[in-house]
Amino acid sequence: MNYKPDESTLISYLYGELDAKETAKLQEYFLQHPEELGKLQQLTEVRNALKATEDQEVIAPPIFMDGPSQASRFWQSGYVKTILSIAASFLLLLVAARLMGPEISYSKGELRISFKEATPIEQPAVQYDPKPALTSHEVQDMINTSLIKNNELIATEWEINNKKMQTSLQNNLASNSAKIDELMKVASQASQDQVRTFVAGLQQDNLQLMKDYMALSTKDQQVYVENLLVDFSKYLQEQRKQDLMLFQTRMSSIEKNTDQFKLETEQILASIIANPGNTFKKVNNY
Amino acid sequence: MAGTLLDIAMMHSDALITRAREGDKNAQGKLVQLWYKRIYNFSYKFFFDHDLAMEVSQKTFISMHRNLEGLHEVTRFRSWLYTIAVNYCREELRKRKANRSVSLHDLRPGESEESFAWEASSGRGENPERQLRQSELSDLLHQCLMELSDEQREVVIMKEYEGLKFREIAEALQISENTVKSRMYYGLDGLKKILERKNITKETIGYEL
Repeated sequence: MNYKPDESTLISYLYGELDAKETAKLQEYFLQHPEELGKLQQLTEVRNALKATEDQEVIAPPIFMDGPSQASRFWQSGYVKTILSIAASFLLLLVAARLMGPEISYSKGELRISFKEATPIEQPAVQYDPKPALTSHEVQDMINTSLIKNNELIATEWEINNKKMQTSLQNNLASNSAKIDELMKVASQASQDQVRTFVAGLQQDNLQLMKDYMALSTKDQQVYVENLLVDFSKYLQEQRKQDLMLFQTRMSSIEKNTDQFKLETEQILASIIANPGNTFKKVNNY
Repeated sequence: MAGTLLDIAMMHSDALITRAREGDKNAQGKLVQLWYKRIYNFSYKFFFDHDLAMEVSQKTFISMHRNLEGLHEVTRFRSWLYTIAVNYCREELRKRKANRSVSLHDLRPGESEESFAWEASSGRGENPERQLRQSELSDLLHQCLMELSDEQREVVIMKEYEGLKFREIAEALQISENTVKSRMYYGLDGLKKILERKNITKETIGYEL
């Protein structure tokens, strides 16, 4: 029997929700597998343990769920409130005005709102005289006279100012030229002395410079020539060394060649002596 | 669960639900009175926290009031109500996980003078020692429940404490009945191991009670 109940079946059995056929099948399984029944009993014990927890007592708080109806929402909306408040203010104003006895009148482009009885405003009477006081000719004469007087006054003032200005300019010119002459004299004297001093100083500086240069160049030349001589002698020595080495090398190579020649000659001689016949043949074969 | 007058009223509240669905404010108020304790206890066992349970309960009933018109079958009211409660529980859980803050009440629930356990000490005429032991055992079992995964915990609470049928739990959680039963099995198995680890046996519970 390969039947093995799944968790779903076991739980249904545990809670008594399994049908009769399945229950019988499961009980048969438990007979063969008592350890599974033991596990299920342990789960029952857990369930019993959980029962030890009691419910917490709680009082339902007042939850206001009376939602506003459509009508009340309309009356509570901001726009309606604003309009209503304006209307109420206007109504209040009207009532107050009514109580105070308003007088509203409109005449000659003038709107008048007043409370109680309106009192007419007294305006000053303007007297209009049709007869003219001055003719246009007389006014023209007055203007001309005034202009002539004004021109004369300006001309007089201008002449006085001109004279004053000329006098002042002449005075200034005279004083300035005298001052400039004095300054020029002082300046020429001062410049002659300064030039002499400057030239003398310049000559002295040049002389000293030349002296220094000559002394310095002589010393430099001496040092240079000495160095040149030393370098030349070193060069000569080096050249001599190299020549000697070359000579030695060549001598040694000649010596080696000579030795080798001797050795070869000896070998040839030895071979000739050892095999006189063969050697002769071979020599002839060549 | 059945037995008290309240439970009987809950079982036969179809007419009340119909009236409430039609907009009867009085009927809606009565529904709240009838179901508030159940939803509160479900949330309390889920969080083991009075404040969170109160918040979830209030949100659940406000949501119930707003959406009751959309409930097509009156017979499914119970699973529908628990669906709302579970969703709010999960929402609070997500918030709590995001905040990662632990209140002092969470650390030692029941010790604060302002705690719910103090306020709701029912049966003042009973033996105080027995009440204390009962309270301790209750806290201990709550702690065991809190060690389960959220999915297992909600199924165990709905079945063991709220007395919902497997079909109703499946409807409330919008999963299959088999999945509900599987979660129930592993939930009980997990609880068995937790109780063993904490040395809470049948004898201990018998002694405590």
